[in-house]
Amino acid sequence: MELVPSVAAPTRSARNIALVALALGAGGLLARAAQGAGVAQVQTFVLIFSSLLIEALPFIVLGAVVSAAIEVFVPGAAFARLARLPRPLQMPVAGLGGFAFPVCECGSVPVARRLVAKGMAPAAAVTFMLAAPILNPVVLVSTAVAYRGREVMWAMVLGRAALGLLVALAVGWVVANRSKRELLRGGHEEGADHGHAAALPRGRRRWRGFFEHLAGDFVLLARYLVIGVAVAAALQTFVSQSVIGSVADTPVLGVASLMLLAGVLSLCSESDAFVAASFVQFGAGAQLAFLVFGPMVDAKLGFLYAGTFGKGFVRTVVVVVGAATLAATLWFEVLLG
Amino acid sequence: MSRTWSPLRTATGAVLAAWAGLFWFLLLTGRSPLYLSDRTAWVVPLGAVVLSVAAAGRLATARSEATEPLPRRTAWWLGLIVMPVVLVLALPPAALGSYAASRRSAVAAGVVPAQGLSSGPVTLVHVAAAMWSPDARRQLVARAGTSVSFVGFVSRRAGMPTDEFVITRFLVSCCVADALSVQVRVVGAPPGRFAQDQWVRVTGSVYPLGREVLVEASEVEAVPRPDRPYLNV
Repeated sequence: MELVPSVAAPTRSARNIALVALALGAGGLLARAAQGAGVAQVQTFVLIFSSLLIEALPFIVLGAVVSAAIEVFVPGAAFARLARLPRPLQMPVAGLGGFAFPVCECGSVPVARRLVAKGMAPAAAVTFMLAAPILNPVVLVSTAVAYRGREVMWAMVLGRAALGLLVALAVGWVVANRSKRELLRGGHEEGADHGHAAALPRGRRRWRGFFEHLAGDFVLLARYLVIGVAVAAALQTFVSQSVIGSVADTPVLGVASLMLLAGVLSLCSESDAFVAASFVQFGAGAQLAFLVFGPMVDAKLGFLYAGTFGKGFVRTVVVVVGAATLAATLWFEVLLG
Repeated sequence: MSRTWSPLRTATGAVLAAWAGLFWFLLLTGRSPLYLSDRTAWVVPLGAVVLSVAAAGRLATARSEATEPLPRRTAWWLGLIVMPVVLVLALPPAALGSYAASRRSAVAAGVVPAQGLSSGPVTLVHVAAAMWSPDARRQLVARAGTSVSFVGFVSRRAGMPTDEFVITRFLVSCCVADALSVQVRVVGAPPGRFAQDQWVRVTGSVYPLGREVLVEASEVEAVPRPDRPYLNV
């Protein structure tokens, strides 16, 4: 009887692979036919979809590499010691970690997940995850380049850094009382945390574990990235950017509409300042809202968060980041006059 | 206990290998400018190397003592991750065209530099600067009547006379998703000779009119799409 599953399993696996390969082949032929027929929407969608993925996927893999290295090479005791630090100290230090770890938003998600799994305080890990894509040197320099020659250049760079840290701290503070079990979503196939032993594995087992965790994180996050990027590309293809132009002069609506647009476009935080600078009909506060909200909440991140964190996390992030960004950027607008 | 190839691990390794293959393909065929700007082109070799190492590592550790079948649900998830690779490889190379131009923003001040506008050839990047920057516009006004040669694709607005069209080029900062358009109105073109999205070279004299820039064409010729269809900053 024991032989039955071991004989049947490879056949079943081969059948599943063949089915998926057939579907992929059919999808490729269908897309080719649509492009051949000159359907501009299909061509635009595929170009935006592919370019977003080509830019973001290496960062997902790098995030997975760092995450796997933390799991296999860093002893859990190191995070336990960090977790014993007072929270008012832990969270700002984690938030400022972005200066030392210059990744955009896709790379910070697997790292934050692993930090929580290894015992870092959820508040600190979430603060790091949200602040790192803004508080990294590459992003701040690109913001300065995008706004060079304008009076508001320093206000935008410093405002982005300060507000990014403040909003990340606000979300960290809100999730501070959640346990690891409440914060993380459990039960993934290749992405499962395979029971963390107190002692680190040695020799070949260590590398086996490294690649196992790397592949697990990749499979877990890449699928949500693909879905999120597909949604972002569809919105970019079918919704004209001019529809938000009519509310540019209305203070609250102007800020809210650029936050919404940042969520739709799902741009990388290293390039979004160039797009924000093009919205000259909007005030500096609305542009700052675009630059702070987008790297923390967008279509692709929504799916990444939903696949990584537990129930309610996406709602918490959207509400806290949205409210804090809206309030702070309206004040920013007032202060700039 | 003997180890056998785990279908689950092997399939995951194959997915990583497929993505690594796509990055090598982009690198070797020089197609990355269709998706990324020069500023972010380094992502392609990085992705190729990291994904190759990850795929090799996963495949090297894909033999397992336990039976690990590939469940149908997981197979579909893996298929979803591979789907973009299939799309890029299955479709002929293309670039954003007039449909995208009708739905995206134009470039703005600060995004593009106006250096070299006071002397030397006038480029589409200079035109982009002049669309919003008063300083760049003043410099372009001083160059009114200068001979220019612009390459871009044809797009038409409703109600345009038959001897006019708009030549458009996209400017990309990181990837195609952040593309912003630069547009110049062309007058005196051969009526009805150039179709929408046809790539052309327009030679003529440039005249800024407020925020719009116009070229009085002396010659318009069809050209193949450039290998680097997007302008970079």
